[in-house]
Amino acid sequence: MDALLHRLEVLLPADEFTLLAVILLMPLLGAFVNGVFGRRLGDQAVSLMGLASIAISFAGSVVAFALLAFAANAAGSGESGHAAAATTFVWRGWEWLTLSARAGYSVPVEVAFSIDPLSAAMALVVTGVGLLIHLYSTKYMEGDPGYYRFFSYLNLFIFSMLVLVLGKNLVMVFIGWEGVGLCSYLLIGFWFEDGANAAAGKKAFITNRVGDFGLIVAMAMLVYYVGSLDFGTIAANRSLLLQDLSYWPPWNRLPLLDWMQTQSDWSVLSTVHGWVTTPWHASVATIVALALFLGCVGKSAQIPLYVWLPDAMAGPTPVSALIHAATMVTAGVYLVCRMAPVFALSPFAMFVVAFVGVSTAVFAASIALVQNDIKKVLAYSTISQLGFMFLGVGVGAFAAGFFHVVTHAFFKACLFLGAGSVIHAMHARIHATDAAQDLRNLGGLRRFMPHTHWTFLASVLAIAGFPLTAGFFSKDEILYRAWTSHLAVPVPDGKIPGTTVTMTGWPAWGPSVLFWLGVAAAVLTAFYMGRLYLGIFWGEFRGWRIVRRFRPRAAGHHDGASGAPGAPLEGPMPRESPLAMTVPLMVLGALALVGGFLNPHQLAVLIPGFHFAPVDDFLAPVFATAQSFGEVAIITHTEAGSVLAALAVGISVVAALAGLGIAYFIYAMRGGTPARELAERVPWLHRILLNRYWIDEVYQEVPIGTVDTLASAAVWVDRWLVDGVIAGISSGVVRVAGTVLRLFQTGRVQVYATAMVIGVAGVGWFFALPHAAARAFGDDDTGRYSLTAAPGLGYGYRWDADGDGAWDSDGFGQVRDVRFTLERERSRTVRLEVENAFGLRSMRRFEFTRPKVSRARPAAGRNTVIEIDEAGGARTVTLPDGRKIELEAPSPAEEGAR
Amino acid sequence: MTWWSTLFAVSPLVVVALGALLLMLAEALGRPAPAADGAVVTDVGSGRAGELGIGSAVVLFAGGVFALSLWMVGPEALPGAEGLAPYFIVDRFSAFFGVMLCLGGGLSALLGGGYLDEHGIDRSEFFPLLLWATLGAMALAGAGDLLTLFVALETMSIGVYAMVGLRRNGRAIEAALKYFLLGGFAGALTLFGAALLYGATGHTDLAGIGASVGTIGQPGSTVPAGLVLVAMALVVSGLLFKVAAVPFHMWTPDAYEGAPTPATTFMAVAVKCAAFAILLRVLFGAFADERVASWGTGWPPVLAVLAVATMTVGNLIAGRQESVKRMLAYSSIAHAGYALLGVVAAMRSGMGQASVLFYLLAYTVSTVGAFGALILCGRRGAEAVSYEDLAGIGRRHPVVALAFSLFLVSLAGIPATAGFFGKLGVFLAAIDAELYVLAVVGLLNSFLGAYYYLRVLVYMYMREPSPNAPRAVPMRSGQVGVAIAVAALLVVWWGLFPLSIGADVTAAGSAPMAR
Repeated sequence: MDALLHRLEVLLPADEFTLLAVILLMPLLGAFVNGVFGRRLGDQAVSLMGLASIAISFAGSVVAFALLAFAANAAGSGESGHAAAATTFVWRGWEWLTLSARAGYSVPVEVAFSIDPLSAAMALVVTGVGLLIHLYSTKYMEGDPGYYRFFSYLNLFIFSMLVLVLGKNLVMVFIGWEGVGLCSYLLIGFWFEDGANAAAGKKAFITNRVGDFGLIVAMAMLVYYVGSLDFGTIAANRSLLLQDLSYWPPWNRLPLLDWMQTQSDWSVLSTVHGWVTTPWHASVATIVALALFLGCVGKSAQIPLYVWLPDAMAGPTPVSALIHAATMVTAGVYLVCRMAPVFALSPFAMFVVAFVGVSTAVFAASIALVQNDIKKVLAYSTISQLGFMFLGVGVGAFAAGFFHVVTHAFFKACLFLGAGSVIHAMHARIHATDAAQDLRNLGGLRRFMPHTHWTFLASVLAIAGFPLTAGFFSKDEILYRAWTSHLAVPVPDGKIPGTTVTMTGWPAWGPSVLFWLGVAAAVLTAFYMGRLYLGIFWGEFRGWRIVRRFRPRAAGHHDGASGAPGAPLEGPMPRESPLAMTVPLMVLGALALVGGFLNPHQLAVLIPGFHFAPVDDFLAPVFATAQSFGEVAIITHTEAGSVLAALAVGISVVAALAGLGIAYFIYAMRGGTPARELAERVPWLHRILLNRYWIDEVYQEVPIGTVDTLASAAVWVDRWLVDGVIAGISSGVVRVAGTVLRLFQTGRVQVYATAMVIGVAGVGWFFALPHAAARAFGDDDTGRYSLTAAPGLGYGYRWDADGDGAWDSDGFGQVRDVRFTLERERSRTVRLEVENAFGLRSMRRFEFTRPKVSRARPAAGRNTVIEIDEAGGARTVTLPDGRKIELEAPSPAEEGAR
Repeated sequence: MTWWSTLFAVSPLVVVALGALLLMLAEALGRPAPAADGAVVTDVGSGRAGELGIGSAVVLFAGGVFALSLWMVGPEALPGAEGLAPYFIVDRFSAFFGVMLCLGGGLSALLGGGYLDEHGIDRSEFFPLLLWATLGAMALAGAGDLLTLFVALETMSIGVYAMVGLRRNGRAIEAALKYFLLGGFAGALTLFGAALLYGATGHTDLAGIGASVGTIGQPGSTVPAGLVLVAMALVVSGLLFKVAAVPFHMWTPDAYEGAPTPATTFMAVAVKCAAFAILLRVLFGAFADERVASWGTGWPPVLAVLAVATMTVGNLIAGRQESVKRMLAYSSIAHAGYALLGVVAAMRSGMGQASVLFYLLAYTVSTVGAFGALILCGRRGAEAVSYEDLAGIGRRHPVVALAFSLFLVSLAGIPATAGFFGKLGVFLAAIDAELYVLAVVGLLNSFLGAYYYLRVLVYMYMREPSPNAPRAVPMRSGQVGVAIAVAALLVVWWGLFPLSIGADVTAAGSAPMAR
């Protein structure tokens, strides 16, 4: 084995790791072939193409993963205990374009990809889960007229996701980011003949645009402040982000403010004045991190941009499993992990991440309590679990947050595929999509669908956090770290270097609030998952009356659609899904049960001195940069094995068991009666939850309604003013002109020639007339002003520079510049007259006023000086505090050490 | 051995000219194709459009190869090239345009071979005309003197007039006549302006004119400034006609629609590019003096206004068209506007000229491809022209639809295509020249453009044809297929590897415009 890996290492050197190209290009090839030739190839060949391309990608990821682990072992064997630098394999494709940043420094954008432990793990999840879901889809989508289209989109999605995961710089990530968004849009609206599905696709697309705006802002700021979009370079030069960014309120230049300043009698006014004219301060790192997080909020469906994900369930179920549960929606978490060195510089931004995450976890879980559509329950559960992941990365437990991404991919994909299997079975008699996935039509399926049942149960236990399942280990670790992590400000005195501005740290109540909210979300999760599971698989089957040897009538295919309550539907026994669908379920279900043992920290509570955390150890080098900044350790936490850890584990176990137990009590033992009674007793709460807090309606009214109102106003103006008055007049003119022109009825070529004549005349007219144009320059601080007249062929100039109303000279000369100085609060009108070659003259006035106070504001980051040497290579950056930093584009060898 | 190097310097033109002569002979003396079912043979050489198309494409690509080798040897290293100046300037600029025009012309010839055969247009004089017109265009790109400028301009134009009227039906004849009359008018304007310039400065070469304009205002200068300004207005207006800038654009939709589609392609591509080449030569060769090339008083504000008008009018009207061919005609007007933006930016920015060149290159391949895909979508008697004709073609003929989408996406300027970098370069040049408002207007216009380009995609992929409507059945033509494949390859290649050609474009764009 070692010999083989050695050979591979020679074949694939770390800085020319062409395997990445193979991993990336196979799904693209699959998408191309299936999309273009798929209709002619037939369904068999399409599935073969789709599966084979993903399988090769998966194999490539496995090889890359093995090589990484091998190289990390070789590097780490010398110095154990100390976190070695992350091993990175790079494939540089080519330089795509060059952006220009400050001080003429150009930022090359490379089409380059790299794989390190983090992206390797993610690529394994994407291709592995992707492969299983492709396999599942071959049966699930069987017979669909858009079969080839579906597989083409799915392959394109895997390609985009891999671009996102493996991209070496933010531009590549952005391309992947948009690519997965596009595929998500196409797949949500896959059955676009249904208007609701198309609308859901649009909703997802538009909501994500809001988030992408944040991503673009972050990229622009990184280009400006760091001069690079490459992850390694950003991490290496991240000290540049510790600058003060002052933001002036946009209204700080209103003339009214001068008057307010003079009113010293009214303290209110001067307070307002002070507030408006004082800049807001933040470190660049905070703004960049928050802008990035806005992108993540959109993609990963967090508050307030989560509304698209429940609607996205309109897509085929495998899509929900792959894109809207296992992979794409976790891209936000991945991006935070990837940019961990930047996020860690801003405790404030980290707190926002953690708090938004945990709030979303509780909020979405509460909505999931009462939903009846099984896919909707799973959708809100996904939002909630994503919240957990953000809680993890927000408290600095990047590895824990990311591990939850992995385990969540297992159990949530399994849950969705299980739900798909159930829907598939229901389609034997019920064809309406909504009815087939309504909890009220299900029940008792565990007898008919054993494979689906057992795998679903495994995943339910995992997501509920039942001890020793995958979800237990990952979720508990997040909660524990939320309680015990401590995030420090990365600079010793808490001030942004070179300024007196204090950085915002964590509030004292932060960790405990995050922890208890997280526990609440965990209880809710266990409860609603229990309800879902019991509702589908226990009790009596409520879909139709089961008749032995049922034969559908000729028209039988349609009578189930209505599900009319009066006439009880009859049908056959629900059947287990075919093997191609249950095999992925079994694999994922098994992983949901035992996947946690990849990172079983918590066993340390039972076995003292136990340390076995391969995932943590594997990922640790990636996050080593984020842990500390220079001498200051940013993220610290109490070590596992302490009493606190035992307490945290105990609380999580109680939470999981309590949630499951209550669900069992209510739905299995009492048939759901207590829940109904509670709903009757507190109807308002039930209604709020059932209607999802009316958030969709609020969004419909406020932002969309505003736009609608504006549009209606525009329509009104258009109808009455434009159509009525202007169009009336102009149509009259056109009619008259048409009548006149018809007198010359010889064809329109005359009109064309007339237009040309008018054009020539216009051009000539501009050249023949003199233009007294001039550019003014001035500095209110020094009071020096100057005017430069535009040069003109054959022009003569004369000035009235002193503003006395008389020309400085009688004749026209060739003097094109005037300079003068002004006292404060003085004005002057300078006149310029030109005479051109045709003897025509033109005159213009220029007004200058020097204000009483100088309102010039210093540009943001003005104090940072960037010098570039002649070769354009090395840069010296002088920070406001006088620190000098030598920057150099890292060479491939050094870059491995990020 | 100077004459060898002189010959080499003009070899692209010589190759095309010899090829044109040969094709004329072949067309005149060759046997007509055996007529099926005893149909009347109307013309000697008829029925051989496919073969002639391949022949002229070979000639033009050979010309392109010679231009390319000229580029690689380096025109500045040729001792014989200097002797041709100012009448024909052999520099990187003209070599670049040589390659570009031969590429555009050759691809149009391939389209012509497929199109004329399919639609039974037995007029194989199309190909010699196309070759002569390309020759004129190449000569125009190298013209450094008003005399060669005019001769080359007319050589190019007369061939194109005849190509427009090839089909001899009412609409084509009307289009050709309109184009001819207005073109004659514009030619007269240019010629009159040239005469005035000669009268004012005593020079017909652009470099001499430029030097004389520079002396205005100095003591002892006898060059009348007013006359120069009037002449400049006339010459520039005449050239703007060929560029199809608003308000000199009105002939475009009629001529583009009336002409057979390959001729439309040639006009949209080669004629427009050559016109831009000579516009750059005149503006930066003869009128580069600070006093006529300044933002306040000279030609830049005029061209800026026209650029904005051109792109806005082009885009607005293109969005309202029901015929895809006419939409592409108006969109080509809009593209002239973007390129003009680059010309304006070139007054202050070193990137300006290069950005125009790259824009034209990207525009050439995208436009050839788009027209080619449109040709491919139609068969004899059922030329696809309207949006409805294209409905559902994405399902039925995914390859054609994919190629068409690629070209439209490139024309719309969406990343990872050549068109994106064309637009990006022009806008960056405008920003570099501190023309921020123009850059923003250009950007807004490209949103407008995206609307109607993507509308074609909507029809191709998301609409099904109404049951009784005629369905587009793509023709089978290897020639059109090859042309589309070449264009698609270049669109993707330059979209993915724009820097592979960046240095060459910059070198071509930074050559002095007159000698």
